[in-house]
Amino acid sequence: MSTIIRTQGLTKVYGANGTAVHALRGIDFAVEKGEFVALIGPSGSGKSTLMAILGCLDAPTAGTYELDGHAVHGLSGGELARIRNGKIGFVFQSYNLLPKASILRNVELPMLYAGLGRRERRERALALLEKVGIADKADKLPAALSGGQKQRVAVARALANEPALLLADEPTGALDSRTGAEVLDLFRELHAQGHTLLLVTHDPSIAAQAERRVEIRDGKVVMGGVAEDPTSSAQPGAHPAAHHIGVGR
Amino acid sequence: MTSSGAFRERLLEAWMEIRENLGRASLQALGVLLGVASVLGGFSISDSQRQRAEQLYVRLGGLDKLNVQPRATVRDGQATALQQANLGLRDEDATDGDALRPDAIQGVSSQKNARSRVVSGFADQDRPVTGIGGDFIPANGYAVEAGRGFSASELEAGAPVAILGTEAAATFFPSGSPLGQVLRIGEVPVTVIGTFQERVFRFREDQRNIFRWRNRIIAVPANLVQRRMNGDAYRRVDRITFRIPDLKVMAAFSKQLQDVVTANHRLQDDFRLDDVQARIRRQNSQGDVYDLIFLLSGVLALVGGGIVNVNIQMASLKERVREVGVKMALGASGREIFKGFMTEALLLTALGALAGLVLGVGFSWTITRSLGVPLAMTPASFIWAYVMASLSGFLFALYPAWKASRLSPMEALRYE
Repeated sequence: MSTIIRTQGLTKVYGANGTAVHALRGIDFAVEKGEFVALIGPSGSGKSTLMAILGCLDAPTAGTYELDGHAVHGLSGGELARIRNGKIGFVFQSYNLLPKASILRNVELPMLYAGLGRRERRERALALLEKVGIADKADKLPAALSGGQKQRVAVARALANEPALLLADEPTGALDSRTGAEVLDLFRELHAQGHTLLLVTHDPSIAAQAERRVEIRDGKVVMGGVAEDPTSSAQPGAHPAAHHIGVGR
Repeated sequence: MTSSGAFRERLLEAWMEIRENLGRASLQALGVLLGVASVLGGFSISDSQRQRAEQLYVRLGGLDKLNVQPRATVRDGQATALQQANLGLRDEDATDGDALRPDAIQGVSSQKNARSRVVSGFADQDRPVTGIGGDFIPANGYAVEAGRGFSASELEAGAPVAILGTEAAATFFPSGSPLGQVLRIGEVPVTVIGTFQERVFRFREDQRNIFRWRNRIIAVPANLVQRRMNGDAYRRVDRITFRIPDLKVMAAFSKQLQDVVTANHRLQDDFRLDDVQARIRRQNSQGDVYDLIFLLSGVLALVGGGIVNVNIQMASLKERVREVGVKMALGASGREIFKGFMTEALLLTALGALAGLVLGVGFSWTITRSLGVPLAMTPASFIWAYVMASLSGFLFALYPAWKASRLSPMEALRYE
């Protein structure tokens, strides 16, 4: 079992000395390949900040972060963009589909940034839409879809470049309980297929669906930071640097 | 994926964005459109005027002429003091000049004028008479319509023969053919052997014929004027014209000729050289000033449009922060975002510029038509207008695109 996420002493401080806000105060956290982890915590706990750093949308003030065996703390903006593109699939509470682009194009977009050819993009996007059960809506605009359908598109888009990690931020927050449950079913299905999922939520009932729960409060992990698996105790430095970071791995 | 594929994708994206925001995009394109139209229109109007002026010189007998004229002409046989002291312009100057570059000079003609009483069976008028030699007729854009031109022996001998312009023919011989008729010039009876084609040139359609006076010509051999009308012992002439088709030779020849004629004239500066090509260059350089003014007004229009575009782009960027954040989350780098915004702006500029070229053609056509000048447009005007629009589009797109590319992905995603 290889490690997808490993952080040590992850710290994030906003603002200058006098008015500094310590959002994260040394997070030690790990997710193994194939795990389904729920990150829970009340609002203001720092889970959004952690989510942004884990998603390579923001850089930590201090500490180390290894994603799929590669140190990503201290990388440049362009390098982080490549990591987000190839290693991470995002699912947001508000879907964040591009309203002017068709469903198909929305799913194609990460592959476009990865530099895939037109035909290959189209085939894979259609296959992914098929997988989430809305291939018939490929040519529609997002506005023509229901909330649950939009979130399925978002999941298809997140899977586009076969990411190492699926990051879902309150994915059911904007859905009614029935469609929310359908989306969670979809996540469990993906988990069963071997995908690594990190689900961020404040709702304990949703977190209960995950294999493992990590609770964060006041910028610290208070429960379940590392899986209780003896093989995961390897040190971060033990990973060979030759491991290739790239598209589709 | 090839870079052309990536470019095509960006172009497609930009096109979708423009189509979705047609109102905003039209406003942005409008500034470019007006700028391009004004640059192109300005250039075309000045090109049209210039072309018309060149046509005039061609009709005057070509651009490849160097005229030599006395500074003060002899009128009615009365020489000025300067000419009395010197020899004046004379046939010798023509032969000496011809000897300088016989290889490059294609023709030499001289002109000797007189003013005299001209009498026919129908009219009796005081008229200028033009004594001509060499290839005067083609060199001045005349052509014989009826009858014939002067033979070499008639020119040499100063035979009493004449060719009339249309107005002169109509005045002195209002009925019947003038050919073979006799006209008395002063005391000399001359036979009409030909008539010239009518000369017409109007700068604008509604203006009068500026060649009207050329139809009044009464042409006789220069030697006839010299020998039997108002000649003198020095065989002075009123104009010598050299034809030099190779315009590169012209400037050098002009200097040599200046020296030779000055030497012939006892170092007196009593003549002037008139290089037709140089005259046109001077006139064209005046046209360049207008070009500059048109260019400047076009540039100002483009700058104005550019500033408006920056404002619109910055305002629209506020609406699109979220979109930029999503694209960044999906893996678009800042450079990718920058290129996307630039592509959109440049596509918009290109479309606006194309529309501007069309409008500019219409604009030029309308104005030149109202002036009555035929429309002339050069490829250079189109290229200039297009390049300037693209340049301004590029420069003014840089700032909004740079701003967008520098957004933090996390903050952009959370932007409401």
